[in-house]
Amino acid sequence: MLDLNEDLNDEQIDAINEPNSVFLIACPGSGKTRTLTYKIANELLNLNERNKWIIAITYTNAAADEIKERIENLGVDTGKLWIGTIHAFCIEWILKPYAGYHEEVKYGYKIINSHESEELLSELCRNYSYPSINYYDCGYHYTSTGLQISCAANKQANVSYVLRDYHSRLKANFQVDFEQILYFSYQLILQHTSISKVLSQLFTYILVDEYQDTKEIQYTVFGRILNAGMGNVKAFIVGDPNQAIYSSLGGYAIPVEDLRSLTSITIVEKALTRNYRSSSRIIDFFSNYRVFNSPIVAAGDNQHFPSQVYYSQTILLEDLTQTIGNSVKYFSDECGIQQNEICIIAPWWVHLASMTRKLTSLFPEYKFNGPGLTPFSRDVDNFWYKVAKLILTEPSPQLYVRRSRWAKEIIDDLHSANVATDITFRLILRNINTIKSSLVEQDGLTYLNVFFDALFSSIDIDFTLYPALSEHHKAFFESSEKRIIKITAENATYDGSVETFKKVFMPKSGITVSTIHGVKGTEFDTVIAYGLLDGFVPHFNEPSAESANKLIYVLSSRARKHLYLISEKDRIDRYKRQERPPTIVLNAHNFNYN
Amino acid sequence: MHISKLSLVNYRNFLNSKLLFSKGINTIIGENASGKSNVFRAIRLLLDNSLSRSAYRLSENDFCRDLTNWRGHWVIISMTFDNISDDEVSQSLFVHSAGIHGSAIVKQASYNLIFRPKQHIRIALSELNRGSGAELESLLSSIKIEDYETVLTGKSNADFNDEAVYREIVGDFENVIFPSRVSKETIGAELPRFINLPEEVSFTFVKALRDVVSDFQNNRTNPLLTLLKQKSGQINETEFTPIANAVNDLNSQIEGLSDVITIKDDIKTTINESVGDTYAPHSLSIKSGLSDEADELFQSLRLFIDESGHGIEGAIHEMSLGGANLIYLTLKLLEFNYLQDHQSIANFLLIEEPEAHIHTHIQKTLFDKISYSNTQIIYSTHSSHISEVCKIKNVNIIGRVVGKCAIFQPSHGLSEPKITYIERYLDAIRSNLLFAKSVILVEGDAEEILIPVLIKKTLGLSLDELGISLVNIRSTGFENIALLFHDDRIRKKCSIITDLDAHFYNITAVVGGVPADEKRKDKARGSEVSGALRKIALDSLCQGNDWLHPYYADHTFEVDFIKVGNQNTLKSVVGDVYTDANKISESNTELSSSDIATSGLRALKMANYKKKGWFAITLSEKIKFSVTVPKYIIDAVIFSHGVVAPCTLEKIIDYRFKAIKEYVLNGREYVATLDSTTQATHISEWQSHLSFIDAGISAFTPKWLNYLSNRADIQTIKVAFINDIPCLANEILEGLK
Repeated sequence: MLDLNEDLNDEQIDAINEPNSVFLIACPGSGKTRTLTYKIANELLNLNERNKWIIAITYTNAAADEIKERIENLGVDTGKLWIGTIHAFCIEWILKPYAGYHEEVKYGYKIINSHESEELLSELCRNYSYPSINYYDCGYHYTSTGLQISCAANKQANVSYVLRDYHSRLKANFQVDFEQILYFSYQLILQHTSISKVLSQLFTYILVDEYQDTKEIQYTVFGRILNAGMGNVKAFIVGDPNQAIYSSLGGYAIPVEDLRSLTSITIVEKALTRNYRSSSRIIDFFSNYRVFNSPIVAAGDNQHFPSQVYYSQTILLEDLTQTIGNSVKYFSDECGIQQNEICIIAPWWVHLASMTRKLTSLFPEYKFNGPGLTPFSRDVDNFWYKVAKLILTEPSPQLYVRRSRWAKEIIDDLHSANVATDITFRLILRNINTIKSSLVEQDGLTYLNVFFDALFSSIDIDFTLYPALSEHHKAFFESSEKRIIKITAENATYDGSVETFKKVFMPKSGITVSTIHGVKGTEFDTVIAYGLLDGFVPHFNEPSAESANKLIYVLSSRARKHLYLISEKDRIDRYKRQERPPTIVLNAHNFNYN
Repeated sequence: MHISKLSLVNYRNFLNSKLLFSKGINTIIGENASGKSNVFRAIRLLLDNSLSRSAYRLSENDFCRDLTNWRGHWVIISMTFDNISDDEVSQSLFVHSAGIHGSAIVKQASYNLIFRPKQHIRIALSELNRGSGAELESLLSSIKIEDYETVLTGKSNADFNDEAVYREIVGDFENVIFPSRVSKETIGAELPRFINLPEEVSFTFVKALRDVVSDFQNNRTNPLLTLLKQKSGQINETEFTPIANAVNDLNSQIEGLSDVITIKDDIKTTINESVGDTYAPHSLSIKSGLSDEADELFQSLRLFIDESGHGIEGAIHEMSLGGANLIYLTLKLLEFNYLQDHQSIANFLLIEEPEAHIHTHIQKTLFDKISYSNTQIIYSTHSSHISEVCKIKNVNIIGRVVGKCAIFQPSHGLSEPKITYIERYLDAIRSNLLFAKSVILVEGDAEEILIPVLIKKTLGLSLDELGISLVNIRSTGFENIALLFHDDRIRKKCSIITDLDAHFYNITAVVGGVPADEKRKDKARGSEVSGALRKIALDSLCQGNDWLHPYYADHTFEVDFIKVGNQNTLKSVVGDVYTDANKISESNTELSSSDIATSGLRALKMANYKKKGWFAITLSEKIKFSVTVPKYIIDAVIFSHGVVAPCTLEKIIDYRFKAIKEYVLNGREYVATLDSTTQATHISEWQSHLSFIDAGISAFTPKWLNYLSNRADIQTIKVAFINDIPCLANEILEGLK
């Protein structure tokens, strides 16, 4: 039995011990992941039926890996735990077994990788103009009423044409994209009631993390299964409605009543109200941006910390980099904050790449980890990305469990690509180590290319015979080359060596530079945020106060100790031809700033 | 849940076959080497968890040899399950992987092993130019067995036995059209890798021709140990602790034996003396190593059995082979029972040829008694004794049709009452009908006794050698048994021989005629009418069924027999029928009559007088190779038998040729005994008859010798034989093709 009392507070224990399904609202820093981990571990220990699984749905693969590792560290066997993203869930439990019943996928399907998808959409966008559109306008998702386009209203018509072309192209190539995986699974679940019935008999628990970013059709998929289980499958839904920042992708925090009527099961509402992360001053600040009035209490070691909370509307765009660099210097040198406990946040990726490079050259004494520096495609679902990850990490006792898992994942992918092989993960690890010592290539990309070939010849598989593998191979190298060209153009010092490649997978050190969405689930002593302007926060496609509130809430609740917010001047809105004003809700917040 | 269908495509000796199963006990009947073991192998590949996973990897030899070229073809082993329920939690994993989902409920499941070319070969095939045989040829020739992969799928809804479906999935080799993709609904979705269906069911296989004694001696295969092992995990601690203590006591007692102590001390002393105290070990002891672990102790348990009732129990190797096998089978059944306790979703027991060493009476009892709930038993047999106790509904017959392996379900598509009738009938007559290559059904004893003799005498071969089983229905109720032979059921030829009972003498009623005659006439009129009606019914039954054909005697066997000119044969038995001299002479005269009304009536009277069966036996002893076989019998034999192998035809000609030569020799000897003065005419008739034949023999002999030297064309030599010696009843030979 797990000793819950040692590691958990009474709220967390109460949620874990609740025999009914639980709807758990967890405020930032309240130990949500820990609670989820213990809940899963506990249910795994309680599981005594053969052929039953516990299903945990996380927002990212990384989160799934982390939770699984934590449970294993508790000494609990994870053999009966299935954990992964909703997409992985739909593929493994619905599409693979039941594709035969869906017209669009019954002849088999390949999942288009993000590089290929971007290329295809970009190509199709070129056929339409007035207004001209690009890949970034083509975000879409499905709801029960069909396809939803998220771009600005004036572009929607053109985007709908592009998506029509895109889908017919996918169909002709027997490909599906991530949105379709969800939609086809949703349709299968609706059309074949026996599927949810059978699945409900295979699961005892469905746990959903970050429910606030879940889409309507995803709620329907697991809601149907819960419904078919008639109370025998329990739910453990965790999240924070205040952090629902993916509404443009269709995510929303379902009200508990709606979930009850969808599932017809007893669901008990619980809350984790104690924030162990931030000082009460920080909590005071971000509490203002709640859109759901759930209580937050400071409970951690930092609760009495004398936080500095700054807000500036006067900094000019041209002085922005210097100001941010100075503040990094200030927090680091004056306040004693570790570099890796500082995070610089902006709303969009486009604002970050040049900021990172400029900071790197202006403040060489600090190390900045920003986007745009990874020299190859970071498509986590790309087969060769996974192989590269194994190749570029060094074997060590600490990494052994993780690398073994990656190697197993590679074998699974090989099987999925119809490769008949009985190689073991040990053999893969051993061969990688052998090849590593024999290669002399210095250029990172050449190194990987040669390494891939050597590895596959060592396990006697001709990957060019398997379309899934060869397409991923092409995508991996094409997108990597593109990226390297981009990086070299912007950064003369980039050398593209194997060592640079290896750094991608090394534990991060230095100052993190990221978007608001990118820092979801993380925490830092100090958060510096800029670009807090109307049109960015909130995004112009979603111009509501609620949307802005959630973004401010998420970014400021990352901070333990200090917060520095900037609404810089002189950013021009090209459509309105005027300066972007500060984010309205931030401007309206009357706070006692330092 | 039970297996309802097994489809085999291109697997071993099955080009395209299916077996149908019901819940409960099922039988697979087939002669030796018909492929029963291959059927079991196929089932085991899908369900037997004790089979190594590497068995999935098939080889070239697993392709059916009837394929001229295996390259490019697929092996498909597909199993359908019925009585599936998506409500039962225990079955849910099975249903998830294999269940065939409609819009709401799941009732069936399918589970398939597919051995097919890997994707790059399939793509290359699909990219061939349609109809280009040359391209196909060159692609196929490059295919190696390493280019093949095994996939396990569930949920397929395809009928793999349908050749059109095979073409759709695999391709059309003739017209070179290959699909680029196949719907997962058709071939099924690949099973999730974390699911191993054999683990979900309990499955026990009892193999045939086992070397029981060595199985018992080998720790791995000893069925007793398997049972004990299953129990050793759950041994009662309180019961076992005293035993373990006793073992430990025993160990110390053994160690304490004075001889043991002496040896130990001697060892110690010897070491010390030879290497000196400095290098000698500090201490040394001899320990008794009887284990106190239950599973190790159990290995010393042996089964002892008193077989004969003399009160002396012997070890397995001292038992009779039959007895040892019975024990083996029993232990396997018990093992199965233990497995069943493990709450698997379905239980399967496969027994290969239980008759191998077990007496038929025990077998009968065994299978009457084995009926576990939720258990499907499939056993194979070539014993007709076992097949009797089971229901024909649950029988699959493996046979050969035109040299190719085929599987029949004898009751497929028949109504319940018909099946019951057939089952009763088969049970009653202990018929080997289900094992026959082909069948002739007859209505009475005369045919049952005489037809085999007629064939043996005229062809020199028995019906068995020709692969024909003759079955006496003992009535004219052919229909129920004849139903078995049908495209849907047993695809073997079956001819029916029956009498039309048409009149052959004047049956007009005469007022004031002899009462006995009038009564006979009256009866004959009735028989004629019912005979005609029977013909209508039989004709319509056989209409459109290529496997079934009726053949009619115009009147009745004895009458038709004399009608074709066998007066002399009949005359030769008159003395055996009657004792009265007048009666004998009268009969001989009547039999010689050219009027069938006279000779036929006498033949019939003789048969009735002696009782038909006994008369037939008497007659059978007088039948010679020169007998004329009535046409309807010839036709029936030829229909049943179908094409005759050249070597068989050669044997027949050889037999008949020898018989004719012997006939001439005997004829000459006979002529020599005749008196040349009083029997001059008779002698000259005989001599001209014999010299005619002799001339034929002289003409044929060189042709025959020539044929034997090169065995060119059997049909040519057959025609020559019939033309050269155109007498002595060659009709049947003429008919055989």
